[in-house]
Amino acid sequence: MSSHQTHLNEEIEKLKHQVLNMAAMTERAVEKATRGFVERDEGLAEEVILGDNRINELEVDIDRFCLRLLALEGPVAGDLRFIVGCMRISVDLERIADEAVNIAERSMILSSRPPLPFHDDIRAMSDKALVMLRHAVRSFSSGDPDKAREVCCMDNLVDELNQKNIRKVIEYMVTETPAIRRSVHIINIIRRYERIADLSTNVAETVVFVVSGTNIKHQRYFDDRVPEADTPSRRIEDVGAEG
Amino acid sequence: MKEQIKIRAKNLNFYYTDFLALSEVSLDFFPHQATALIGPSGCGKSTFLRCINRMNDLIPGVRVEGSLCLDGQDIYGPKVDVVEIRRRVGMVFQKPNPFPKTIFENVAYGLRVNGGRDREALSRRVEESLRLSALWDEVKDRLDQSALGLSGGQQQRLCIARALAVRPEVLLMDEPASALDPIATQKIEELIHELKKRFTIIIVTHSMQQAARVSDRTAFFYMGRLIEVGNTETIFTYPRHKQTEDYITGRFG
Ligand SMILES: Nc1ncnc2c1ncn2[C@@H]1O[C@H](COP(=O)(O)OP(=O)(O)O)[C@@H](O)[C@H]1O
Ligand SMILES: [Mg+2]
Repeated sequence: MSSHQTHLNEEIEKLKHQVLNMAAMTERAVEKATRGFVERDEGLAEEVILGDNRINELEVDIDRFCLRLLALEGPVAGDLRFIVGCMRISVDLERIADEAVNIAERSMILSSRPPLPFHDDIRAMSDKALVMLRHAVRSFSSGDPDKAREVCCMDNLVDELNQKNIRKVIEYMVTETPAIRRSVHIINIIRRYERIADLSTNVAETVVFVVSGTNIKHQRYFDDRVPEADTPSRRIEDVGAEG
Repeated sequence: MKEQIKIRAKNLNFYYTDFLALSEVSLDFFPHQATALIGPSGCGKSTFLRCINRMNDLIPGVRVEGSLCLDGQDIYGPKVDVVEIRRRVGMVFQKPNPFPKTIFENVAYGLRVNGGRDREALSRRVEESLRLSALWDEVKDRLDQSALGLSGGQQQRLCIARALAVRPEVLLMDEPASALDPIATQKIEELIHELKKRFTIIIVTHSMQQAARVSDRTAFFYMGRLIEVGNTETIFTYPRHKQTEDYITGRFG
């Protein structure tokens, strides 16, 4: 018994192409937002904000495409998992791009004010988050569940950096009261990278599901995760909404 | 789920003279479940189905090896009453095959063969069977008319009623909807959902979607062998074998 190509096969190739295209644009948005912040380049930040529309459109296109395949092709097994996986991944990518926009908006505000001494800390964190995103996308592209699992393991590291950096900024705020508003933006930017890492982990988890049929969501290191409501970042983010 | 095993095939081999049509098939069937048998034409689905009620006995030169048990009793054992096996294991075929008799007589047929005489009791059983096969409301006013006047879908439900009249425990269905239009097919599928509450159902189908819709378990056969069996949900979301995947996704070449 040999397998052969089907019409659905071709459609699935197209779908994969679209998702990879969206992923590439999302990666670029995060890169640009990061450079915009680090280099205090408002032009780059603006590009991220303006480019988000296209990514939103792609999400809608992919969603529609997947829905059509589900309705008309009756996909099962690997085909079914792939299509459902693409629907999930495109939602996560769209959110990652939103996080990039949020970073860009805040760095536009920050660029016009004197810089705070956290660029290196944020750079270390954003590097890790970006690597996670890239690897998650690669693992999708090559259908490699081992690479995807590696991404999930990296999430711990970013969580630690998140905690450490936020603590550092809070300590700074206590003495540098004129910089409170800017510090709140910095804390938010830190949290945005932490979210990007989480969402990249989601993408990687979906890849594991698509390739091997196992759901590994919500299985990792809950124990060393601080409950959301108790983290200082959460309380300060509420203040940040006004400042 | 695995309360008790209704039917158990163990290392079943089946030969048409020299041709090995089933090879080392081991497969269990559970009460109140529908199991779908899928696989390309000629892979032995119908042969396997016919082993279960010994319909293959009618073909000269056939041979069975291994064991096939109904409620733990070997269907091919020396003291088995074949007529009783066929009463306990009813069968419905691809093409509706009503007799050129009245609707009533079609359903009562098996009862008469099994010695039923009492007209009252017969009537009650005919009604019960027609209700079970969801045909009663459509035919109750014309029981004395010819079954051949019914539509294809109605004829198939009549054949199901005929099979049910002798109160079987297992119902074998060999592509029961493949000759029917979509609406009649849907009625048969709805019926299977109802019937499996009372019977063990084994259905051969060429429609993947039908297998997915009506069955609790799905078994994939290829070239006389059982390749994979599992919960239907598992088979259609994450089959373990590439051959199963290729078959159900239509990449079978
Ligand atoms: N009466 C028969 N005599 C000889 N060979 C048969 C007979 N019936 C079926 N076969 C062969 O046995 C194999 C399995 O057939 P069958 O059980 O009808 O497959 P399926 O129902 O999966 O299409 C096929 O190769 C078929 O040609
Ligand atoms: Mg057949």
